[in-house]
Amino acid sequence: MSALPLSGCRVVEHSRNVAASYAGRLLSTMGATVVLLEPPQGSPLRTAPPLLDDGQSALFAYLSAGKRSLVCDLASPDGQRLLEDELQRADILLDDTPIRDRPGLGLDPDLISERFAQLVHVSVLPFGSSGPKAGWDGEELNLLHAGGEGFLLPNGLSHELFPDRPPLKIYGHFAQYQGGAMAAFAALSAWWAVADGGQYVDVSVQDAVLSVGAFALQRLGDGSLEHRSTRRFRYGGVFEARGGFVELLTLEDRQWNALVELLGRPAWALDEALRDPLERSRRGDEINGHVREWMARHDVHDIVQRAQQLGVPAAKYRTPTEVLEGAHEKSRGLFAPLTLADGHPAQVLVAPFHFRCSPLPAAMQVPALGEMVAGSSS
Amino acid sequence: MTRANTPLKGIRIADFTIHAAGPFGTQLLAQFGAECIKIESKTRPDAFRKPHAVYGRMTAATFDQVSVNKLSVRLNLKQPEAVAIAKRLVFIADVTAESFRAGVMQRLGLGFDALRAVKPDVILLSLSSSGQAGPDSHFAGYAPLFGAWGGLGWLTGYPDGPPVEMRHVMDHSAGIHAAFAVMAALHQRRRVGQAQHIDLAAREVASAMIGDALVQASLGQTPDRCGNAHSSMAPHGIYATAQPDRWLTLAIRNDAEWQRLAHELGHPAAALDPRYATAAARLDHREEMDRLLTQWLSDLQAEHTAERLQRAGLCAHVSWNMRDVANDAHLRHRGTTTEVSAAGIDARLAVGAPAKFSRTHEVGIDRLTPALGQDEEYVFGELLGMTQAQRAALEQREVIL
Repeated sequence: MSALPLSGCRVVEHSRNVAASYAGRLLSTMGATVVLLEPPQGSPLRTAPPLLDDGQSALFAYLSAGKRSLVCDLASPDGQRLLEDELQRADILLDDTPIRDRPGLGLDPDLISERFAQLVHVSVLPFGSSGPKAGWDGEELNLLHAGGEGFLLPNGLSHELFPDRPPLKIYGHFAQYQGGAMAAFAALSAWWAVADGGQYVDVSVQDAVLSVGAFALQRLGDGSLEHRSTRRFRYGGVFEARGGFVELLTLEDRQWNALVELLGRPAWALDEALRDPLERSRRGDEINGHVREWMARHDVHDIVQRAQQLGVPAAKYRTPTEVLEGAHEKSRGLFAPLTLADGHPAQVLVAPFHFRCSPLPAAMQVPALGEMVAGSSS
Repeated sequence: MTRANTPLKGIRIADFTIHAAGPFGTQLLAQFGAECIKIESKTRPDAFRKPHAVYGRMTAATFDQVSVNKLSVRLNLKQPEAVAIAKRLVFIADVTAESFRAGVMQRLGLGFDALRAVKPDVILLSLSSSGQAGPDSHFAGYAPLFGAWGGLGWLTGYPDGPPVEMRHVMDHSAGIHAAFAVMAALHQRRRVGQAQHIDLAAREVASAMIGDALVQASLGQTPDRCGNAHSSMAPHGIYATAQPDRWLTLAIRNDAEWQRLAHELGHPAAALDPRYATAAARLDHREEMDRLLTQWLSDLQAEHTAERLQRAGLCAHVSWNMRDVANDAHLRHRGTTTEVSAAGIDARLAVGAPAKFSRTHEVGIDRLTPALGQDEEYVFGELLGMTQAQRAALEQREVIL
């Protein structure tokens, strides 16, 4: 384990939500020892959907792989002593306790910074821990919309088909994952400066969603208020082919030329005027009509294979099973064997990046509740 | 050039990244205080310096979020002399970042092995659509394709509709993960002096967003798209209000919250209705719940209702557009939205540092989009020690272009 990037780093995680839990997961996969403090009945994430057939949480399995589990009842004096011991040894604390509950659980930031001057204390809350809405609560659905991205979904084909339906969330916990990745990044940034002391870091899931959605704020500054009905590529997008859906996007002239090749150089596409990218944008609906008609007549696998050969950016919308069994993913070692908390085997995505000079873990384990003995060093 | 009190003060980045994902990642590092030197050229300027017709932008951008805090120098990397200068920048940098298609850096003579020969503890971030190795590594792609390849696009959508394309958030999510990975590599280098090549494939970031579904798939389950529904919460949805296109998002987590919701919205009888008493019962009646909520909310003001429900401890929020975001006092208070202006750029809002630090608090935006080559005197002159005459000669030979 000593070869991993964060070997020697010790993290205490007290989490109820996906964001803080994902931050801990990223740190753990990079080699930090992450001690998940759980109440006696276990983290609420242990029962969070989606569930596997035997009732275990697939979400918790993904998020907790590689962590240690320590039962710690923060409402009790024993729990407080345990917390004290763990923080004494920790470099980073990740906590998503709502502000009003913190003093009662020994998690007040000021007191923690007094007692543990070298600790990086990262707070991960839906709306952050400062500002007029710091006390607001939000689930994934609320937060994706509080950060501005939810309002813009769906765009393209889904919106064309169902223009009157409510906006749509992204699958799963996209907003929370942004908050978690931001928290992990901020944690390591604060830890980088720890020679001059620890500090408190305030991360908000809403901020993280707005941050990844910054382009829409930039468009507002340019004078355009984006809307899901108009935020679409002028041509390209989602197309239904035989056997599946294709994403197609040509941003550069050479890609457009290659698309014309892919389509078999039809007469409409050879129109001299369409050599101009601005004209193509103006006539996007017309182009998409032709492409849609062509796609419907061709097999999805043939389309994407030939498209990539010709240099047309195109991809099949792959199912989770196709991703898991993908030759590309297999050759890159994206997945590793996972031992579930009850000992059963599964597979899990290790990390969305590879460290070529020091490989990331080749096998992972979901911790059973309280598997870690209090006071142990590992 | 660097601010006094930021967490990443003293870290320098040689930034060859292009498009959105890579530049977003280095922009985050720069907002936390790293000195980021952006390397481009007149012949291959960054995308924001050009019109972007497919996005409907017919001119160059005046302000570009992903270039804030960056210094700009020009190098025409088709020239061997420029490649030699690029290596000198890599040598004085802590981190080198690039987001070309796999193989391009090698062809330029700037591949990982070549850089490690120059700097034994180099950290190279290579961010691409499909990674540096593997059968698809030559594939070209943009954010919607990352989502398609990675499985996130398939799982997102109305249950009876097609998959949905991911947009810039997908690029930028890859950028956050890149910034995190860079920090992990920096800590590793500090501890053991190790060089590192980070191979980040944006499509794998999309897959990381469906990590739970991939665990299910590994056990033979076939997760499918479920729209706005949740498998343990009801009501859980986005509802129309009295105002056109003002939607209220609502997530009710348990029975007590359901009862509070019914009271707050003035329907105490529903709180007592056994059909809705338990989560299981409400999930069984999910469509009826949605109809009921749509009816209850149809004559209410969205923002006012969200505030009232939040006061009652319920998870409610209006589906905000960017004008709402821009007008929000909370985000302004936090500095997450921050006003920027400069010569030629009217006052506008940008996204400041997405985390607040109690001690190293001077994070955020301190410079806007750099003019092409505006920082050559500092970078080429001060940092690399080139004289005016040497730089003029390099311009003459179109090495600096």
